[in-house]
Amino acid sequence: MVESELRAAGHAIEVPPPSDPTAAVRRRLEGQAARRRHGPAWWAGILRRPVWRAVLVVVVAFLAVLVATPQGRAVIVHVFRLAGVELRQGPGPAHSRGNAALPGERQMSLEQARHQVSFPILVPAALGRPGEVVVSDRGRVVSLFWRRTPYGLVRMDEFAGHLDHVYFEKFVHWSNVTKVAVNGTRGMWIKGPQELVYITRSGVPAMASARLTTGNTLIWGTRQVALRLEGNLGKTPALAIARSAH
Amino acid sequence: MRRVIDDAEAIARARGGDLDAYGVLVARYTLRAHRAAFLLGAGEESDDVVQEAFVKAFRHLSRFRVGESFGPWLLRIVANEAKNVTRSRRRRAALVLRLPSVESSGAAAGGPADEVLAAERRARLVAAVNALPDRERQVLVCRYFLDLSEAETARVLAWPLGSVKSRTSRALNRLRGLLVPGEQNRVSSG
Repeated sequence: MVESELRAAGHAIEVPPPSDPTAAVRRRLEGQAARRRHGPAWWAGILRRPVWRAVLVVVVAFLAVLVATPQGRAVIVHVFRLAGVELRQGPGPAHSRGNAALPGERQMSLEQARHQVSFPILVPAALGRPGEVVVSDRGRVVSLFWRRTPYGLVRMDEFAGHLDHVYFEKFVHWSNVTKVAVNGTRGMWIKGPQELVYITRSGVPAMASARLTTGNTLIWGTRQVALRLEGNLGKTPALAIARSAH
Repeated sequence: MRRVIDDAEAIARARGGDLDAYGVLVARYTLRAHRAAFLLGAGEESDDVVQEAFVKAFRHLSRFRVGESFGPWLLRIVANEAKNVTRSRRRRAALVLRLPSVESSGAAAGGPADEVLAAERRARLVAAVNALPDRERQVLVCRYFLDLSEAETARVLAWPLGSVKSRTSRALNRLRGLLVPGEQNRVSSG
């Protein structure tokens, strides 16, 4: 069917991420509105100063806690999608402290987990066997945990993100994101804790899963599985761990 | 405390001059507007098209009918702006397929031959869409790349519903014609 092929092709067309028009639109509208109580876009000038930009992100994130709604997720500045993870610059959802969980988490052995999920579970040789294996959302995600590594707790989530569905949304500051290569495939290195939320099969964010990540994150994919590695480790060891996953 | 502001409320407040409320709409529809602008051929100028469209939409909010959905109404303005930029530079930006995010050099492979064939066919399909006459490409972009209904497409392109239907079927036929020759031996597997 040409129709369904067209739909599929539409998803595969390269569309660059938009730049955020909010400030420019507001500036232009304010410039023309009769009412100029606040002066011309006072915050647009602030945005140009890097120090303030950081502060602004924090303030916006705080406001987001007050106004966050499912639709509020649409307060997006940039979107980048890779291996089932959608990166957005902008305020993340309100996140719980400490007890965030993916839907339907079940702890089991690595062997049991291999029977529960439809994708191959990769284990990085650099870390050895995981201390804990958790399968979530009826086999949609598997999370491996290593508690005693030189970097403290390290977590690796694996999911069928190569199918181009969004599994996680991450709210990041764009300057913290670097493109990297892992075994010849594209990856993203994200510095610093970020807000992360799991997206269910029906495309709805699982609010109970929203949390602040620990340390840094590496996201990459292979032909059959998408992976995110999270922990208090630097880029070099993270890449070494990723390369050793098979 | 969570405060939900839906489109209708944001529009009502924006009409009263509330730029914060309008900012909510801008943030909410930027991605959609940008994707539409880009796919309708605005290319590198998509950001400018989106900005212009949002400014114009605000000025024309009084014409927005209560109860109507904001998306198609906004996309009509976007489509118009996109048309202006493509007309002024006398060409539409060609659509290109994203490179596969996972290279074949990655770990274990699964059905690579099928995938290569599918990718090839997809690339030819997009090339064929690029080569369509303006209106036929527009209607396919709206219907299949932007997932709009026939009625929404009619609204966005400012055409009668009948034209949407006839141009869609003409465009689909043309694509079928372009894809079929030399295809028989390839399609058999999938």
